[in-house]
Amino acid sequence: MGEKNNLVLVVGAIAAFVLQIALAPAVALFSAQPNFLLAYALVVAIVIPTEAGPVLPFVMGLLYDLTGTGPVGGMALLLVIACFLASRVFSLMDNDTLFMPLAIFTACALLAELSYGMLLMACGLAANPLEALFTRALPCALYDCAVGLVVYFVMARLLAGGAQDRGLRTPKLR
Amino acid sequence: MALNFQQQSSALMRRALLIGLIAASIIMVTAYSREGSTGPLHTLQSAVSGAVSPLRIVGGSVEAATSTVGDTMENITADQNTLTGLREYNSQLEQQYAQMEEYKQEAQRLQKLLDLKDNYQIEGTGARVIGRSSEAWSQTVIINKGTNEGISTGQTVIGTSGVVGQVVSASGSTATVRLLTDPQSGAAAMVQSSRAEGILRGSLIGLLYLEDLDADAEVNVGDVIVTSGLGGSYARGLIIGTVVKVDAQQGDTSRRIVVSPNDSIDTLEDVLVVSSVGASDDDDSGSSSSSSSSASANGSNNSSGSGTGSSSSSSSSSSSSDNSGNGNSSNEGGR
Repeated sequence: MGEKNNLVLVVGAIAAFVLQIALAPAVALFSAQPNFLLAYALVVAIVIPTEAGPVLPFVMGLLYDLTGTGPVGGMALLLVIACFLASRVFSLMDNDTLFMPLAIFTACALLAELSYGMLLMACGLAANPLEALFTRALPCALYDCAVGLVVYFVMARLLAGGAQDRGLRTPKLR
Repeated sequence: MALNFQQQSSALMRRALLIGLIAASIIMVTAYSREGSTGPLHTLQSAVSGAVSPLRIVGGSVEAATSTVGDTMENITADQNTLTGLREYNSQLEQQYAQMEEYKQEAQRLQKLLDLKDNYQIEGTGARVIGRSSEAWSQTVIINKGTNEGISTGQTVIGTSGVVGQVVSASGSTATVRLLTDPQSGAAAMVQSSRAEGILRGSLIGLLYLEDLDADAEVNVGDVIVTSGLGGSYARGLIIGTVVKVDAQQGDTSRRIVVSPNDSIDTLEDVLVVSSVGASDDDDSGSSSSSSSSASANGSNNSSGSGTGSSSSSSSSSSSSDNSGNGNSSNEGGR
């Protein structure tokens, strides 16, 4: 991974963190809040699937945990797994269309949000699983997708160059 | 060959790193759920939350700005009739302004009286809400007072007209308050008129449910719900809200009562962190009369519950409560 890419990743991570703290509460729609950290980590895993490692999602998840009230390590665990899955699935299923990265992003975001809800319930959150799915996991995952779409175009441009010189198994904008 | 070896080594290292980080995450989650509220991970979480509180204040400004942008857009698209109406309305407002100035001064005087903290026999610290939860799964607010001002985990927090939550973590200059509507929140509560006791829980959809009531306890729509003080997590006798729906009939053991909180959580701006209720050190009857007066003072129209109080537990200052720090009702052992 080049120096430029590293710099972009660090700056992006800081931006995602600041947005999560400062902007996410302000743009909440009903019960749904975007998770910029999750969106950023997943997008990076999809944009550079062969280069992105587990450290970035772990750090992003840990920041989410430490600034929230949930169990520390919970989101870190889920982001590491979700990003690993996203990068592997994308490597296998990339068909050079925008559909595939978005579908993988949506599936992984929903998986992460739903798993986080289940983890919270396992840690003592008194909630109905269906209620958790329909009032939190699903709306939040959809919101994450909206954020992820924007982040995807930005990161694809910055990390993969947005041109033909991108390596094999990296997304192409169409 | 060398390149192949390097690639294999890199892949192995990445795999090892992946497994290591997953293991570290699982260890942290396990440790977090087992340690108490004073454990290292809770302390670290509290410290980081405190450290990023300036960013949350910025977030509050962003929230206000987005609201202003919405208003501006509405103004831009207003037609002539609307503008005429607004001008008339503006003249009315100007007339009201002078009257409001009087009210403002009166409010300031009342605020000073509140600062004396003897009106409702509540000892506490006034604080301002400076931020809200940055995650969707919890309902918490950040207040601008922390351990430097004597705020500690477990203290009850009241709004302008009732209990709104409990301090779950505190740093030097800020504290996190878990709202009653948070699904992880739980408060020992009772129906003021019948003295029936139960546990008030939040939910993901923002409603409050009064559960674990005796099957034969009488509860009706409109009944006032106050904290019972059992378990010591919440100070006794503070008004929470009113019953708006009773799911099942009297005699049903699985009754669930929907409670509407007195204080609007969405518009919460100023709160009082309760360190003790004045009559809590008195005998039980004293406590009950205090609870009644508190409730009345907070806008309750039902003060019939000023009896002796069925609870035999000592109502304690919540500041000393340090069960799990999560404000979980499951940790309230009073029942």
